[in-house]
Amino acid sequence: MRSSAKRKAALIILLWGWLMPVPVFAGAYAAIVKDAELTLQDEDYLLSAEIQYRLSPKATDALKNGVPLFWAVNIRIQRQRDFWWDETIVEKNLRFKIQYQALLNVYRVRNEDSGEGGNFSSLASAMDALSSIRYVPVLNKSTLADGERYTAGLRVLFERELLPLPLRPLAYLNPQWYLSSGWYLWNMKN
Amino acid sequence: MEYEKLKPPVSVSILVLFALILFSLQLMSTATQESSELSAMYSWLLLINALGSVVLFVLVVANIAALTRRLKKREAGSRLTTRMLSLFVLQALAPAAIVFYFSMQFLHQGIDSWFNVEIDRAMEDALELSQASLDQRMHWHLMQTQQLAEKLQLSAEGFSAHEIENFRAQLGAAEMTLFSRQGRIIASSSVNPADILPSIPDEQIWLQLRQSGDYIALAPVSENELMIRSIVTVKGLDTWYIQTLFPVPMRIADLADSVEFAFVRYQEMNFLRDSLKLTFSLALSLVLLMSLLAAIWVAFISIRHIVAPVKELVKGTQAVASGHYEQQLPVTAQDDLGFLVESFNIMTQRISGARDEIRQAGVEVENQRAYLETILANLTAGVISFDSDYKIRTANQAAFRIFHVHVNQFIGQSLLSLAQDHAELAEPLKSIQRLLEQADDIWQQRIAFLSLNGRHELLCRGTPMYSHEGMRVGAVVVFDDVTDLIQAQKNAAWGEVARRLAHEIKNPLTPIQLSAERLQLKLSAKLEDADADMLQRSTRTIVQQVEAMKEMVDDFSEYAKTSKKQAVNIDLYALVQEVLGLYALKSGIVIQAGQDKKRLSINGDPISIRQVLHNLLKNALEATEGHGHIEVDMQRMQKNNSDFIEIGFFDDGPGIKEEQIEQIFEPYVTTKAKGTGLGLAIVKKIIEEHGGAIWVDTRRRHGAGFIIHLPAI
Repeated sequence: MRSSAKRKAALIILLWGWLMPVPVFAGAYAAIVKDAELTLQDEDYLLSAEIQYRLSPKATDALKNGVPLFWAVNIRIQRQRDFWWDETIVEKNLRFKIQYQALLNVYRVRNEDSGEGGNFSSLASAMDALSSIRYVPVLNKSTLADGERYTAGLRVLFERELLPLPLRPLAYLNPQWYLSSGWYLWNMKN
Repeated sequence: MEYEKLKPPVSVSILVLFALILFSLQLMSTATQESSELSAMYSWLLLINALGSVVLFVLVVANIAALTRRLKKREAGSRLTTRMLSLFVLQALAPAAIVFYFSMQFLHQGIDSWFNVEIDRAMEDALELSQASLDQRMHWHLMQTQQLAEKLQLSAEGFSAHEIENFRAQLGAAEMTLFSRQGRIIASSSVNPADILPSIPDEQIWLQLRQSGDYIALAPVSENELMIRSIVTVKGLDTWYIQTLFPVPMRIADLADSVEFAFVRYQEMNFLRDSLKLTFSLALSLVLLMSLLAAIWVAFISIRHIVAPVKELVKGTQAVASGHYEQQLPVTAQDDLGFLVESFNIMTQRISGARDEIRQAGVEVENQRAYLETILANLTAGVISFDSDYKIRTANQAAFRIFHVHVNQFIGQSLLSLAQDHAELAEPLKSIQRLLEQADDIWQQRIAFLSLNGRHELLCRGTPMYSHEGMRVGAVVVFDDVTDLIQAQKNAAWGEVARRLAHEIKNPLTPIQLSAERLQLKLSAKLEDADADMLQRSTRTIVQQVEAMKEMVDDFSEYAKTSKKQAVNIDLYALVQEVLGLYALKSGIVIQAGQDKKRLSINGDPISIRQVLHNLLKNALEATEGHGHIEVDMQRMQKNNSDFIEIGFFDDGPGIKEEQIEQIFEPYVTTKAKGTGLGLAIVKKIIEEHGGAIWVDTRRRHGAGFIIHLPAI
């Protein structure tokens, strides 16, 4: 009697867990991928994307007080399979950093991989610079096979783990630090 | 058992647990220092420690819930556990709370003390100083560039690319470039000949340039190299722009950088002050929480170990209290509690030993009593014992057989209350009671009473019982049914009388008869007619009376002899019918046999039984003078576990007088004018020789009734 009741409870929990996927929390300050596309130029696919970053008051405050903020733009291309999980063909991260420089009173934006970047006298212009990605090579055409279906995905991940240590636990608890976007997915024309 | 062996000792588990907790907390506290490599793992460590706390919390809550449940059930040892635990928690909690409070105080004050207004001011001033110093230098370079632009304006016509090299060298600029209005490079020179492509201003700079005419700003060339970029409009035929890049001296750049770094760091720290406090508080709270929870949990485990023997003891005592003396407890430890448990075991062993001995003795006493009771029960004599108030204490089976009353059901009552319910026993019981109360020593008395089965004679012997102190504690009465014995004695006496009669009376009768006949024979001829006639009458009378006397003596000797000559199975119903047939002419005789016609058979001498029937019927006919109603009832019945045939003879004659009932079966007792008075005596004798009984039915009010019991087969 007791064991059957336990089994029933376990089954209910299992069903509940299955039917109710963990809700993706899209906060009021989450970044939005406005547009993204892969264009074929010569033999390479180049990524262009338009991302809207939305800084919360807390994030702005931290930035103005010298705390560097990091975002990673994740690009993922998957081959669709009918009866199996999709196969990831390419996964690429672009990491961006934005930091206030008190001496020059500028915001410095930097691509952590290529080292490119610039100084901007206003936060808005710095964020503008951050928001557009232009012609970043992602993969070679030969990587993709003919007759297959591919899905490209893009998202922006706010790197909480790169915040100063005291801010990290708060960043997980306060919605003002939920700055990551959801996946933006589109089918690739091959 | 195997599992028990494999399980590590509790102390080891506890040590391992504490080591793990300490390790995890140490990792977290190391991670709190930003320079540490563990810093990257901080979030994970925090999460793991929080989860650890949650697990410990769940464990503690589960333990508390279990304890509460046990408390509610008033389980053994639960109250002791609660008391020890609350004491422990109080003792652990108080110092921990004090330490925690002061640590928090110190922490907050410590962090706050890093920051104050003076340092704030100084930091800002330092930054401003470096900015002012750079501004001054920028201003100076702008002026230089403006002067050069004026010079170029004058000699705009003859400007050659070659000259720009000289201008750059004059000003000491790192790079100098002349742009056209459209931003095209007209001429360029660099201190480093390897730099072919000059630094090109971006859109924003152009915008500002077109608005205000000149531009000056610091431009970071590389990570720790600064340049001062100044662009000035050269007015002439065409509008040109000249851009100069001046290097900031290394020393100044370094200083500015250092000031900036310190400022930013300070600013950041200031900004993070609250978060930092929170982080440290969190870490500290987590440390406290984990250690406390772990301590409480460990307390639960160790208290459980301490209380286990106490619990066992309590259970054991409860078992002993409820009568289970065999309780033995496992000795788990060689400490004081172990000693207590051992003592308990010895105690229960002794108690159960003593209990067994008592039980054994009880069983023996019981056996003895049962044996005595068996003897008493199987005695043919009835035994009734009385307490000091003459209330019945015990009575054996024979008492029931004799009185036909379950005396056992009257235990605790006096004989008089027994007499109330059984009127026929009233007389003998009253006399026994009287004797009991009066006698001081052994007494003996013969008591006769009339029961449903006829007259009975009891030989009663009684003795009062005295305790050691001489107090009267009761009495015992033993009684025997001596009816048969007395009857036998009587029969023997009558037999002797009959033998004597035959010998002493019958023998002289023949000579008397013969002599009378001879007298008549010799004298009748010699006498006168009148005398002869008288002689003849007298002689006849003598002869007749002698004949009658002979007959009487024969009858008597017949009675004195054993009559049961042969033993065959007799169908009693058929026999009764046959005998009744002889009296068929006499009306008013009814025979009733119920449903038992086939089963009314006995073993006996048919001639004797026939005589019994004849005698009884004759009696009845004589009593009713041939006009009355005679009824013969026959049935089979059970009495004292044996089967009997009951035959009842009932008539509606004048009946039997009460004073005659006792002697009616004695020889020579008769109510009739004729007859020897031996009829019923012979009947009784024959019946008794067949192992039966006959008595007068005293319940009958009208007429006479005899009841015969004969053993059935």
